[in-house]
Amino acid sequence: MGGAERNAKKRRQELAAQRAVAAARKKKSDRNKIIITAAVVVVIAAAVVAGVLITNSQKNEAAGVQIPVKTVSANLETKRDGATVLVGKDTAKVTLDVYEDFLCPACRQFEDAYAGQIEKKIEDGTVRVRYHMLTLLNDRSDPPGYSLDSANAALLAADAGKFAAFHASLFAAQPEEGARGYDKNQLIKLGQDVGITSPDFANGVTNGTYNQIIEEAYQKVSTDPALQQDFGNGQRGFGTPTLAVNGKIVDTQDPKWLDTLVSQAG
Amino acid sequence: MLDGIGTVARLGLAAVWIVSGAIKAADLNQAYIAVQAYDLLPKGSVSLVAAAVPFLELALGVLLVVGLGTRLVAVLSVVVLIGFIIAISQAWARGLTIDCGCFGGGGQVAAGQTAYPEEIARDIGFLVLAGWLIVRPRSLLSMDSWLTRRPAVVGED
Repeated sequence: MGGAERNAKKRRQELAAQRAVAAARKKKSDRNKIIITAAVVVVIAAAVVAGVLITNSQKNEAAGVQIPVKTVSANLETKRDGATVLVGKDTAKVTLDVYEDFLCPACRQFEDAYAGQIEKKIEDGTVRVRYHMLTLLNDRSDPPGYSLDSANAALLAADAGKFAAFHASLFAAQPEEGARGYDKNQLIKLGQDVGITSPDFANGVTNGTYNQIIEEAYQKVSTDPALQQDFGNGQRGFGTPTLAVNGKIVDTQDPKWLDTLVSQAG
Repeated sequence: MLDGIGTVARLGLAAVWIVSGAIKAADLNQAYIAVQAYDLLPKGSVSLVAAAVPFLELALGVLLVVGLGTRLVAVLSVVVLIGFIIAISQAWARGLTIDCGCFGGGGQVAAGQTAYPEEIARDIGFLVLAGWLIVRPRSLLSMDSWLTRRPAVVGED
């Protein structure tokens, strides 16, 4: 074997060794890439699954919970009129229209602040209230539909003569926007708890007896030019709560607005 | 030097995801309202997206902080950001008046209070950070550089 030949063989061996090292390194680097990619996928998938589980458990806190009953002092004269409920005597000199959504936080604040005063005026016969339960925020519960289900149930509660307590209880235990609302079974249970015994109530809640007239009423009310409010920035629109007497919006900025209404009507 | 810029881009994008994800995760009901306001998804999937997005953002942020799979995470970040930009653009084009809910909040706002151009510009800024990391994912103090450092091979020159 000549020297040149030996050198060539050695070079070939060196080249082969280099290739092997490079291949080993590439293989290791490929393996690392796969491990890293897998780790990223696992971390993200775990986060998303955890998120869905956490969200569901948070939202479902209201599931199956019994809605506490809020009692109302007096037995107020109540009758349903289409998609509205009239509370108070026909002889009252002021009829106050109250436009609400059971999911609307501002409506709850209004109820917290003024329900007591309004109740007194109804009792002494000076004021009668026409409640319009609307579906402005129907998409804002998860799943959607609480505004409609609760409005329908409230009308059925009025048929059964238990509107006042039903209405007050739902506002006192209002679910949060974006969260789960009360389902039909919970609404039926609340009806029973406020003393509704007729099976028509439960059937009506389940079947959505008044859903259609509620939605029609909402369409009509929300597009009524007389009921559009100023939201600032030159924006006008319909919002809840809105209060009106004889088709004109009542400004409730003044805490004595109710007394003023009565004295003006007097 | 370039590794330094990469590090800033990586940690900057990480901060964006962690802050936006944490604010959303802290108020999941609000996140639902924000997603619902885009009026883009079928009713059933609003809930799922609202639950997933905050935690997806947190995961992307944490992966960027530790520097694991930086290029892949940057690609995913671009996908998510483009999704956001499309969602905001369609709301703008359809004349909806919503807050993007990018960093908490969200839902309907008055017509004078929308900020679509600013929101999109901000997302484009984040896209630049992600873009850098796709082109050049190397940065300092990352798990990637630790995991893929060259092993000492005997006979290596």
